[in-house]
Amino acid sequence: MIRALRVREHEAFPQVYVVEFEDGSERLATVNMAPGIKVYGEQLVNIGGKEYRIWNPYRSKLAGAILKGLKTNPIKPGIKVLYLGVASGTTPSHVSDILGPSGILYGVEFAPRVMREFIEKVAAYRTNVVPLLADARFPSKYAHIVEAVDVIYADIAQPFQSKYVADNADMFLKKGGWIMMAIKAMSIDVTKAPSETYKREMNELEQRGYKVREALHLEPYDEAHAFVVAQKT
Amino acid sequence: MAKKYLFITPLAVYILDEHGEPIAFYKLYRDSMSREEHVRLLYDMEQGRLSEKILEFIASNIKKEDELVVEDNDLGRFISNNLKDARVESATRGDAILKARENLTSIIEKTVGVKPQEYYSLVHELMLQLTRLKVKEVAEKRDLFVAQAINALDDVNKTINLFASRVREWYSLHFPELDELVEEHEDYFKVVSNIGFRSKMTKERLKELGIKDDVAEKIVKAAQSSMGADLTEFDLEAIRLISDTGLRLYSIRRSLEKYIDEAMYEVAPNIRGLVGSLLGARLIALAGGLDKLAKLPASTIQVLGAEKALFRALRYGAKPPKHGVIFQHPLIHRSPKWQRGKIARALAAKLAIAARIDAFSGEYRADELREDLEKRVEEIKTLYAKPPVKPERAVKAKKGGKKFRGEKR
Repeated sequence: MIRALRVREHEAFPQVYVVEFEDGSERLATVNMAPGIKVYGEQLVNIGGKEYRIWNPYRSKLAGAILKGLKTNPIKPGIKVLYLGVASGTTPSHVSDILGPSGILYGVEFAPRVMREFIEKVAAYRTNVVPLLADARFPSKYAHIVEAVDVIYADIAQPFQSKYVADNADMFLKKGGWIMMAIKAMSIDVTKAPSETYKREMNELEQRGYKVREALHLEPYDEAHAFVVAQKT
Repeated sequence: MAKKYLFITPLAVYILDEHGEPIAFYKLYRDSMSREEHVRLLYDMEQGRLSEKILEFIASNIKKEDELVVEDNDLGRFISNNLKDARVESATRGDAILKARENLTSIIEKTVGVKPQEYYSLVHELMLQLTRLKVKEVAEKRDLFVAQAINALDDVNKTINLFASRVREWYSLHFPELDELVEEHEDYFKVVSNIGFRSKMTKERLKELGIKDDVAEKIVKAAQSSMGADLTEFDLEAIRLISDTGLRLYSIRRSLEKYIDEAMYEVAPNIRGLVGSLLGARLIALAGGLDKLAKLPASTIQVLGAEKALFRALRYGAKPPKHGVIFQHPLIHRSPKWQRGKIARALAAKLAIAARIDAFSGEYRADELREDLEKRVEEIKTLYAKPPVKPERAVKAKKGGKKFRGEKR
């Protein structure tokens, strides 16, 4: 295995790091909140007494977006995040790393099978993660648990995604808070061109009163995926 | 008339005024309360139910002319069904509630007296437990499905063997030599279904079907000098009906195995991790469900599937069986005979633990269990490396059993 040489903090993203390897390559990483524990088979490297988890942009859309030059970055240490569609916890584990012990991540997932994995690999070891087995389409079902949040991160890949995200944002997002949303065009409408789907989803957000601040494509990390950042005004 | 808002949090239930200020609150969280009770309470709320006491609290804090805004539809209905006079409205766009939600931790600190840091670790624990409970509940209903699936898999296997012997006999009228040359039933079906006439057997076509080089060569050679009778297209069609079905059964078998594996992941991850999904599912089927398996003593698990031998032993004093279906585990059937009983006992003991974790708690501990088991098996292997000496009786001659063909399960 190639040795990691140095590490520096990412210019724009606090608690996101860039690890430099011996062969000159650079990879994103976060400081492991649960030392010694891997979530999805990622590499762990030790530099200067800290353990970093290498963050794979092909597995995590947020890492992909950062590498594609995402400008707005609402995910900061200590904030509160409502994460819709945590699945088995690849991206959420890194978000949890970034938030640190004073932040909190409410992780919603509908499928019991992946939720089990999420609990065992992520939630059980990370005190800043609250697991919620629930359907993101019906936010009132977890309204008694979740507080107001600074960021809603959505990776739910289904038709009317924006509508459900906006429903959640209406209930839980603070004023001035942010929506970060990955749009998988093929899960929304296979018959339409991806760009049309993106436009429609962003329109929906705008109509519900959320201002789209930034949008970018995730190629080559993900085919036919867009990443949208919007704000509650 | 005033609008009031019902605001529910994990530790207390509040009535808010229009500005999102709490007018009254009811503590859910008490020191005397066990974690289980608290989790139950939250679970009930999610299902749209409130306790008597919470209803009383709501009733005493709204006047007849007040309108109560509730976020969750089901809860709203529950309240209006149980409090006849209350005027309840369901809405999710309440600014008052959003405002309270923004001040959640400070409201809780003021009313319940729990500091933010403590609050978060409490919520983390509660939700971890609640989510585990919910995951388990979903899985619980699945164990009987898995039991049926494994029985269906057995049916499919039996049918495959039945059809295979029929096709082998039938097609042997035309090409008897093939029977000896192709051991795997699936390969045999493939050859019959895809090539059919022995005159059409070429090395290339056989290799396309996945037959090994040297075997293919032998088949082609045998085909040229076969003793079989001639075959018409009309006859071959009939044989193919069964052969095609055989192939289809193989694909069903694979899908079933995949289904069982995935379902076992939900139903019984620890059993699956310890002995694999197929054997695990078979044990659940034999016991009649995961709950029943979890309540069996290890000694019973050890001989599940060998009931006939067990009762023969109990009634007539024959030798008791050393293992039932767990014999299928490689640790047992790959070990020398004299070690099998001990390994079976160790495995059954770990299985009993795994089943109980799966049925009652749901965490994943199979890796530790497997390690312990491997350690014990290692111990058995070193302590009993040699067969025990039996001086009084001469060693019986080994029975020359017929070698099975094809199916190894």
